[in-house]
Amino acid sequence: MPETQKFAGGSGDNSSDNSLQANSVVHRRYKILGILGQGGMGAVYQARDLNFPDVHKLVAIKEMLNPATDPAIHNSTLKLFQREANILATLNHAAIPKIFDFFDQNERFYLVMELIVGSDLEELINKTKELPVDKVIDWAIELCDVLEYLHTSQSKPIIFRDLKPSNIMIDNFGKVRLIDFGIAKIFDSDVRRHTMIGTEGYCAPEQYKGNVTTLSDIYGLGATLHHVLTRKDPRLEPPFSFGERPIREFNSNVPERFVEAIERALSLEPDKRFNSASEMKADLERLRYQPQVAFSAGSDVKDGTNFFDGLDADGAIQPKWKYPTEDEIRASASIYKEMVFVASYDTNVYGVNLSDGEFAWKYATHGGIAASPIVDESNRLVLFGSEDKTFYALDCRNGRISWSYTTQDKIRSTARIAPDVDAVFFGSDDGHLHALNVLNGRFLWKHDMGDPIRSRPFIFNDLVIVGSESGEMVALELSGNRKWGFRARRSLTSSPYVDTIEGICYVGSTDGYMYALDASSGYSSWRFRTNGPIISSPIVHEGLLYFGSADGYLYAINAQTSREKWKFQTEKAILSSPVVHNGAVYFGGIDEYFYCVDIQTGKERWKFKTNGAITSTACIASDVILIGSLDKTLYALPLVG
Amino acid sequence: MDLFRRLFTQSQAKPDEPVSKVVEPELLEEQKAPEATTVPIPAVNVVEEKDEPEIAYADGATRPLPPETVITTSNMHLTFGQSTDVGMVRSNNQDAAFSFFSTSRNADQRPDFGLFIVADGMGGHHDGEKASAATAHIVAAQVTNNVYLPMLTGENDADRIPITEALVSAVQKANADIIARIPDGGTTLTATAIIGDLAYVVHVGDSRIYLITKDGIEQITRDHSLVQRLIELDQLKPEEAAHHPQRNVLYRALGQSESLEIDALTRRLPPNSRLLLCSDGLWNVVEEKDMLGIVLAHDDPQEACDKLVALANTNGGADNITAILLYIPSS
Repeated sequence: MPETQKFAGGSGDNSSDNSLQANSVVHRRYKILGILGQGGMGAVYQARDLNFPDVHKLVAIKEMLNPATDPAIHNSTLKLFQREANILATLNHAAIPKIFDFFDQNERFYLVMELIVGSDLEELINKTKELPVDKVIDWAIELCDVLEYLHTSQSKPIIFRDLKPSNIMIDNFGKVRLIDFGIAKIFDSDVRRHTMIGTEGYCAPEQYKGNVTTLSDIYGLGATLHHVLTRKDPRLEPPFSFGERPIREFNSNVPERFVEAIERALSLEPDKRFNSASEMKADLERLRYQPQVAFSAGSDVKDGTNFFDGLDADGAIQPKWKYPTEDEIRASASIYKEMVFVASYDTNVYGVNLSDGEFAWKYATHGGIAASPIVDESNRLVLFGSEDKTFYALDCRNGRISWSYTTQDKIRSTARIAPDVDAVFFGSDDGHLHALNVLNGRFLWKHDMGDPIRSRPFIFNDLVIVGSESGEMVALELSGNRKWGFRARRSLTSSPYVDTIEGICYVGSTDGYMYALDASSGYSSWRFRTNGPIISSPIVHEGLLYFGSADGYLYAINAQTSREKWKFQTEKAILSSPVVHNGAVYFGGIDEYFYCVDIQTGKERWKFKTNGAITSTACIASDVILIGSLDKTLYALPLVG
Repeated sequence: MDLFRRLFTQSQAKPDEPVSKVVEPELLEEQKAPEATTVPIPAVNVVEEKDEPEIAYADGATRPLPPETVITTSNMHLTFGQSTDVGMVRSNNQDAAFSFFSTSRNADQRPDFGLFIVADGMGGHHDGEKASAATAHIVAAQVTNNVYLPMLTGENDADRIPITEALVSAVQKANADIIARIPDGGTTLTATAIIGDLAYVVHVGDSRIYLITKDGIEQITRDHSLVQRLIELDQLKPEEAAHHPQRNVLYRALGQSESLEIDALTRRLPPNSRLLLCSDGLWNVVEEKDMLGIVLAHDDPQEACDKLVALANTNGGADNITAILLYIPSS
C-alpha cells in the first residue's frame, strides 16, 4: 500500500509493542490467532471465539488505541465509542459485517466482528491486470445499495466518510463488504503539524472544510470506481484531478454511460452529484441490463446529432464573396486599405477590392507563387517572391512593377520588412537569406545557410531570425553578422515567431517538435513533442502558444511551461498557421475545412468547407476573414463569433 | 553607522568597477539638494570620497542611503544573498540552500550563469535533511555538467538539449537517488537557473519563488499542496487556507514516487527586478507585503535576506527558514 501518511510522525511505531500476542485470550473469550492487518489506530486480529468449543468459529477483532491522556477527553472518547458501537451493532445489511461484541481493556477498545474472507479492492487492483467492467458495475450497484441503507435506515444518516478500495472487501462469493467503519475516526486525533506528503485521494473537497454529508460518500464511490477502472491511484495524483484522467483513455471497455455516472458522482460541487445513493443506483441499474451493443448504438446516434449540428453551422456561414484563380492558392492574402492582394500558383498576383471581391489588377510572373505577398505601407508596395527565382515589388494601387531582384533559385519564403532601416529580408532555395533596400531593391547583403530557406524571417530587437530546410536557425544582426545559431533535427519550414514581450522565439520543425529559444542568445528553453512534422507557424496570444501539426491537431500550450491547455482534432494534417482574433483561433486543414475554435474551451465554434486542402493562413480585416484554398479560390467569410 | 558605511564603501572601492554609470538620477538630485558645496559628486568620485562624511549631513536628517548608493552603482551583474535558519521551534534544520553565480567579460560573450536551489526536507531520523542536501547537490552537479560546462566550452552549440529538459532530468535523477538511498525521506525542490536575463525554473512542492518589482510581488511557482489545489478549484477561500489544519499536506514531493511530475517554466526577468526563493518557513509566517517591503527597502540582497529570516523568527519561527534573494541588474 502506498505510504500516504508516510511522514505523519512515529505514533504508529510503538503501538505494535503492546499488541496482543498470539494464543493469548482476551476478554476471557477470544483466542488471538494472528494479525490480519496493522493500521494507524491499532491492529486487526483474527481470533477464535471460545464460547463455541466444539466448532472453529472465527472472528475479526479490531483494536483501537485511546490516545487521549486528559481523563475528561478519555472518558468522552469512551462514551462516543460505546454509542457508535451500539449503532453499528444494530445495522443489518448484507454488505456490512456483523458486530458481535465490544469491550475495552488496557486503555484499548476492541470490536468483535464477522471475519470476512476475501480480498479488498486495493489488493485486487494490484493482483490483476484488469477487472471485468460488468463486475465493477455490479459492485458499484451493491455499494450504492449499502450507502443508501446507511444514509436512510437510521433516524440520522450514517456517513461512511472514507470510501476507498482498501475499505471495500470482495468476499469469496464475489459480494461487496464494507470493512472499515467511521468508528475508527473517533480515535483519529492526528493533528498534522508537520509537512506531509500524500493525500487521502478519495475524499470530497467539502470534507476538507468539515462539511461532510451523504453526498461526500457519493464522491468517494466515484473516486473508488475511477481508480478501479483507470488503475491510476488518486493518492499519487494531484487531489481532485480525476477530470484530467478521462476513464476511457485508460480503459476503452467502459461504457460511455458508466463514465458519465462516475463523472457526475465526482462533481466538485455536491449539488451537481447524484442527489442520493439510490438515484445513482437506479442510474447504474439501467446500465446493467442493457447489452453492450446498445451503448455503441447510443453513441452513433450522438455522432449523428453532431453531424447535423455541423451542417447547420455550415449553413450559417456563407462567404461574402469568392475570388477564383487559375491554380492553387498556397499562400496567404494581405490587405492594404480597400485592397486585397492574393498570389496564386497560376503565376499571378491579383489586386482585388476588399468590399466586393471585384478584380482590380493582376501581375504575371514566370513561375508559380507559393510565398505570400506582403505590404510595405509606407512605400505602398506589394512584395513577394516567385518560383521564377525573382523577387518583385509592385505599386499596390495599380500593380505596376517598381523593382525586381533575381536570386539563383526558386523563392518560396515570405518576406519581412524592417521599416526602421528600409530593408526587406527573404530566403531563397539558393540557400541564402537576402537583404535588400525596400525602396529600390538594391542589394544590401546575403547570408549563406547552405540549404533552401522557405520559412519567413522574423525581426526582433535588431535581429533577423530565420530557419532553413537543413534544420539550422540563425539570428543575424541587421548588418548580416551572425549572432547565434540553433539546430533542430530536421527542417525548419515553419516560420519562427518571437513573443516580443518575453523575448522567446518559438519554431516548429518537421522533426515533430515545437522549440522555445531565448531570442537573444539562442539557448533553447524547452521543446514540445507532437506526433507529426510541424510546418504550421506558431503564434502567441495571452501566454498561450498556438500551432498545428501534421498529426491533425491544433495545439494550445502554455508558453511558459509548455503544458498543453487543449488540443483540437481535425481529420487530416494541419499545415496552415493559426490566427487569433476576438477570442477565437482560425486555421485551415488539409481536410478542406476552415475552422473557428474558441480559445478558452478549445471547442469548435464553426467550420467552413472548401473544395480543397487549406495550407495558407487566414488574413483578418475589419469584418471579413480571407482564406485561400487549394481549390483555387479565395474566400471572404463574414467575421462572426 | 559611520563604520558601517565605511565598510561598504571600502568593499566597493575596486578601481576597475565602472561605478559611474548606474547612479540613479533621483539619488543624485537628492544628494545635490541640501548643499552644493559638499556634494558635487560626479559619481566617479564616489570611490575617492569614501571616508568623507559627505552626503547626508548637511541638514542633519537621517539618511541611510550612502552604502546602498554605492552598492547599486557597482551592480552591473546579478548579486545575491542567501540566509537559512533553524527557526525558533525545531531542533535541526532540514532546509538546504545552494547558490552559484558566474560572470565573465571577454570576446566570447557567454551570458552570465546562476543556479539557485531551495529544498525543504521532511521525514524523521535526519532523513529530511539528508534528502534535501542530496537533492541540492545532485541537481547542482547535474546542471553544472549538462548546462554550465557545455556553455563555457561552447561544445554542442548546435544541438544542446533544451535547458528546461536538462533541469527536469536533474530533478528526476535526484528523485531516483532519494528513493533508492533515503526511502523514508522526502523534500521539496525549487530551483532556478539564470542565463542572461532568463530564469528557468523547476519546482516540486511548496517552497516558492516570488518575482518582485517596484510594482509588486508575484508568486511564480504554484504550491503542490492540498489547500492550494482546493483554492485553485474554488473549493476554499485563500483566507481559509492560512489556518487550515492540513495546510502542510503536499501532494507532490521528491522521494514520494518514481514517476515524479515536475513543474517547469521560463520567465524573462525585468531590469532591476528581484527574485526571492524561500521555504515555507518564511512564507507561512511572513506576509507578502512584508516581504515586498523588506526587499525593496534594502539595496544589499544579503541584508534583505537576513531581515526576512529575522522577521520569520520574530513571527514565531515555527519551521526552518530559508531565503535566497537575487537582484537583477538594470540592463
